[in-house]
Amino acid sequence: MLEIKNLSIAYGKVQVIWDLSITVGSEAVGLFGPNGAGKTTLINCILGMIRPISGNIYFDGRDITGLETYQVVRLGIALVPQERELFPLMTVEENLKSGAAYIPHARNQLVDRMNFVFTIFPVLKERLSQKAGTMSGGEQRMLAVGRALMACPKLLILDEPSVGLQPSIVTEMFAKLKQIRMEGVSILLTEQNVKQGLKVIDRGYVIENGRIVIEDKSEKLAQEEHIKRAYLGV
Amino acid sequence: MKRIFNLYTFFLLLLVVVALVRPYAFFYGLQRGSLYSLIALPLALILGIVGLLNLAHGDFLTLGLYIGYILFNQFKFDPILSMIFIAPILFVIGLAVYKSTIEKVLKSHHLNLLLITFGVSITLVELINSLWTSRPRNVYVTYATKSISLFGISIGAYEFLYVAASIAVLLVIMLVLKKTRFGQAAFAVGQNPRGAAIVGINVKLVYTITFSLATAMMAVSASLMMPRVSIFPNLGGPFTMKSFCLTAMAGLGNLPGILLSGITLGIAEAIVQSIPGYSGWSDLVFFGVLILVIAFRANRGAER
Repeated sequence: MLEIKNLSIAYGKVQVIWDLSITVGSEAVGLFGPNGAGKTTLINCILGMIRPISGNIYFDGRDITGLETYQVVRLGIALVPQERELFPLMTVEENLKSGAAYIPHARNQLVDRMNFVFTIFPVLKERLSQKAGTMSGGEQRMLAVGRALMACPKLLILDEPSVGLQPSIVTEMFAKLKQIRMEGVSILLTEQNVKQGLKVIDRGYVIENGRIVIEDKSEKLAQEEHIKRAYLGV
Repeated sequence: MKRIFNLYTFFLLLLVVVALVRPYAFFYGLQRGSLYSLIALPLALILGIVGLLNLAHGDFLTLGLYIGYILFNQFKFDPILSMIFIAPILFVIGLAVYKSTIEKVLKSHHLNLLLITFGVSITLVELINSLWTSRPRNVYVTYATKSISLFGISIGAYEFLYVAASIAVLLVIMLVLKKTRFGQAAFAVGQNPRGAAIVGINVKLVYTITFSLATAMMAVSASLMMPRVSIFPNLGGPFTMKSFCLTAMAGLGNLPGILLSGITLGIAEAIVQSIPGYSGWSDLVFFGVLILVIAFRANRGAER
C-alpha cells in the first residue's frame, strides 16, 4: 500500500534521513526510535510538507513524491500530528466535519463516518457543541484521531499518539487503535513508548540517526537484545 | 468574548450620552463609522485568514473609485449600480497582484510581507497618478445630496446607506464563513493552516480566493462613497490606516467588533469636529480613543 524507496531528506546541508526504505501493507506498522531520529521528518515528507532530496514514495502503486499535502490526503492517507493541529475556535462537530468535508469520497458518507467515529470515541458524541480549544489534552487527541478517521483513510498515520497523555489514557488510546485496525484501516505509527506501541503493531522498524537499524515482527522485536536495552529498560 | 462586548457597550453608551447633547455629531459619526467599518471588513478578513497586513488596502479602494468614475463619465453608469462591474474588475486586479507579488513571499518573514504590500501601495498610487493625473474628480448624482430632518436637525439621507451596507456586508461575511464549505475552509485556514492542509484543504487556493474576494468587496464601499468624495490618487492611505485601527481595536477575528469600534471611533471623531475651532483635533481623538481601548484591554488581560 505505502512503499518508500531509498528516501533521503535534508534540511539545508544537514541530512537527516539516509537512503531509507520501508513498506506498509494491510497491517499496523510501528516506527520506533529516540528523539531526533527522523521519525517526524519522514512523516512530514510522506504528507508532502517537505521535499526529499532523492528517493520515491508510492501509495497504491502511484508515485506521490512531491504532491501537495491536500492531494496526498485526498488519496486516502490521514495524519494525526503530534501537535494535534485542531481548529480551536470550532466545535467538536465542526472539527469532525472538517475531516470529511474536503475529501470528495468521504463527503458523501459524512453521517456514516460520524457514527463510526462515535462507536470508537463515545465521549466525542457528548461534547459535540464544545469548542475544541477548551478540551483536555487527551480529549483533543481523540478528536484529532476522530477527525482523521472522518476522511475514510486507507492508511492512518499517527505521530507519537501517546505523547503528553497520562498512562491510563495511553492504554485506552492504544486499545482504540487496535479497534481501528480491526476495522480494516492500515496504521503507521511513530512512538517513543515502545512497550505500549509493540502491543498494537504487527511489524516494526527501529530508526536511529535517519537509518533503519532493525526491522522485524512485533513479537520478535520484543525479544531483540538492542531494543530490550535501549527502549524497554530490561 | 462577553467581556469585550461589555467594553464596547460601555464606550457606546458613553458616546450616546454625549451625543444626545449633540445629535448631529451622533448621526454623522454613525454614518462615518459605518463607512470606516465597511472599508475595514475586507482588511480584517485578509489579516485573519491569510495572516497578511495589506498596506495597499486603501489603494484598491481608490482604484475602485476611479473605475467607477470612468464608468460614470464615459458610459453614464449609476454609481451604485456600477458596483456589479467594479467588483469583478477588482477581483481580477486583486488576483493578479496576489499571484505576481504576495504569493511569492508568503513563506518568508512577516516583515517581507509587510514591505511587499507597501511596495504594491506605492506602485498603485503612482500608476493612478500617471493614468489619471492628481486632479480631483467628482461624481454628481442628485439623490446623493438629499437630506432629511431628524430630531430637529438636518442630516444627509444618502449616508444612511453606509450604515445599512456595513451591517449587510457583515452579516453576509459571517453567514458565508459559518454556512458554506469555502467559508468553513477559510475559517479553518485562519485558525491553523497546517491543520487545514491535513484535512485536505488546498490552503494556497483559499489564500488566493480570500485575497481576491476581499479586494472585490472594496467595490461596495467604493461605489457607495463615490458621489460623496473628491477622487484623487492618495485618497486610500488614511483609509488603510483607519481600517487597521478598527481591526486592532476589535481584536483579531472579531468581525462584529469592527462595526462596533468603527461606530465608536466615528462618533468620537464627529463630536470633536462639531466643537467650533477644534475640528482639527479629530484625528488626535480617533487615535487617542484607540490607544485607550487597547491599553485598557491589555491591562485587564494582564489582571486575569
